[in-house]
Amino acid sequence: MDLQHRNNVNVMGDGPATLIFSHGFGCDQTMWGYLVNDFTPRFKVVLYDLVGAGQSNLEAYDRDKYNALGGYAQDLVEIIDQFASGPVILVGHSVSAMIGALADRQSPGKIAAHVMIGPSPCYIDSDDYSGGFKLEDIHSLLDTLDSNYLGWSSTMAPVIMGAPGQPALGEELTNSFCRTEPEIAKQFARVTFMSDNRQDIAGLTTPTLILQSTDDLIAPLAVGEYLHAVLPNSTLCVVDNVGHCPHMSAPSACCEAMDRFLSPWEGAHVD
Amino acid sequence: MSTDQLDLQALFEQAPCGLVVTKEDGTILRSNQTFSSWIGFDSQALIGRRFQDLLTMGGRIFHQTHWAPLMRMQGSVAEVKLDLIHQDKRIVTMLLNGVRREYTDGAFNELALFGTTDRDKYERELLNARKIAEDLLREKTAAETALQQAQAELSLAYEKSQRRALFAEQMVAIVSHDLKNPLTAIKMASDILARGERTAKESKLLGHIGQSADRAERMIADLLDFALARVGSGIAISPSAQDLHAFVRQSVDELRVAFPNATLLHQTFGAGSAFLDADRVQQIIGNLVANSVAYGDLKQPITITSRMETDQAVVSVHNHGPVIPESLIAVLFEPMTRGAETASDVRSVGLGLFIVREIAQAHGGDVSVSSSAEGGTLFSVSFPLNIASDVSPPH
Repeated sequence: MDLQHRNNVNVMGDGPATLIFSHGFGCDQTMWGYLVNDFTPRFKVVLYDLVGAGQSNLEAYDRDKYNALGGYAQDLVEIIDQFASGPVILVGHSVSAMIGALADRQSPGKIAAHVMIGPSPCYIDSDDYSGGFKLEDIHSLLDTLDSNYLGWSSTMAPVIMGAPGQPALGEELTNSFCRTEPEIAKQFARVTFMSDNRQDIAGLTTPTLILQSTDDLIAPLAVGEYLHAVLPNSTLCVVDNVGHCPHMSAPSACCEAMDRFLSPWEGAHVD
Repeated sequence: MSTDQLDLQALFEQAPCGLVVTKEDGTILRSNQTFSSWIGFDSQALIGRRFQDLLTMGGRIFHQTHWAPLMRMQGSVAEVKLDLIHQDKRIVTMLLNGVRREYTDGAFNELALFGTTDRDKYERELLNARKIAEDLLREKTAAETALQQAQAELSLAYEKSQRRALFAEQMVAIVSHDLKNPLTAIKMASDILARGERTAKESKLLGHIGQSADRAERMIADLLDFALARVGSGIAISPSAQDLHAFVRQSVDELRVAFPNATLLHQTFGAGSAFLDADRVQQIIGNLVANSVAYGDLKQPITITSRMETDQAVVSVHNHGPVIPESLIAVLFEPMTRGAETASDVRSVGLGLFIVREIAQAHGGDVSVSSSAEGGTLFSVSFPLNIASDVSPPH
């Protein structure tokens, strides 16, 4: 299996440690565009797409393997083995933060530190835990994905929509960063939002930076605080941001927090 | 009013689509009357609320994970279908196009929304149809897989049973062959003992030994024939020209000695010689008569008929007595088939009629049976007379 092709792996930058960026549910590695340039002078940077998303090889999508986050974690470990050098810091957005934690559990010692952006170990509320969602909310999401089937199917490109102040986008680019095979999107949504990784993550001693937005529907503040409490070596950094993608809407605040956290591993800064 | 005097304000408010301007975080700065009336709110009441808070929970997650990042990355989205919650709690489905526009005081999202309730219904019907088709396909695939698996299991089981049968038959062949030697020794020893002076009781016991050994020998001979027919190359015959009536008579004479309490009649029709293996045909007659003795009414005679016809020689054995049931007739010539258990002397292991048919067929002939209360039971074995040209004799 050619990992580069399977996961559309892109390697850039240089440094004594490797930052692996893993995107979350919905889009693909292009969402790291606001962040990576800050790190390439000091780190080796590896970007990749989860199988089923972005430009990954859809033929590698195995419904059984990816029916749990463990399948994605296995891929991540393989990518670390093949592409990383020096200490590895995993920057995981949303569900990928948990994929990183699972990979750490699967192969202890391979990940030196985690940067978790908007992480949540469990989305659905239970008696003693508040994840922010009820089961019916997840069904509502699956329904929304379903009803966007016609417009978002990769076989049916939506109309061009020029964006003011930006170079005209080709037809094939419109919505493309978030376009997935509908069946894959639905399974990934189910696997993501139905997962409960609280057992896996509790007590993980790897140094972890939790980047928590002040106002995030998907990963509310209480969830970030929960993770901070169960991760003994964690730092909780609350970023003033509305939404689930602070690395896109508040990139400089994210960079600042990450710089502080990553300083033990960084290489010489060449201006 | 001419188009020059178009009131842009009115055009915005009453445009044939919903128009909404938000901050990047979704906070609504302005919305037109069309939009606010579609979802049952006053335009003023919407200002300051977040656009995503008007959506169903699924739509809000979708906003966070899909189109909010898209707005940022590519500056626009097209044809996103959203469910909005009307003030009276019902769902209003809309299609969203949006652009992100940068002004001196920041970036804003400008959204145009189109009611798409009917189209949505149609699309949902399409989706349902697709889902049904997919379910059917899945069912079909599952059924096909199950069928294939069943077939594979069946052929595996068949192979296994073939191997077992072959093994069993080979074992029968080996064991029956090996039993012949000790049996011959028993017979010889009892013959030698019988020559001396014996008490009445000893003579009787020696007689039992001799008869039992003979019976065992016949059973073994049958088993060997069966094994030959099933595993080997078939029952071999060495035909030669034979006076049919003469050797059938000889055979009947011998059987009268073997079955002293039965009345055996021999009748003949026609005359001539046939190309037969005399020993094997005698074996046929022996098997059929033994059956008649075992299952027939011994108060009435057993009739053995030899008949020369123009194109075939026929040997038949007839007895009176119980009818062979219809169900049994169908499998009568298969190995291990037996008539109603006669408690006393079961002559063989159920191979007699199988061997009869095998021998008849080795001659190019066949065997048939009829059984009725009035007519009794009649087994007929026919041998075609042009046998020499059909079956080449062994070397």
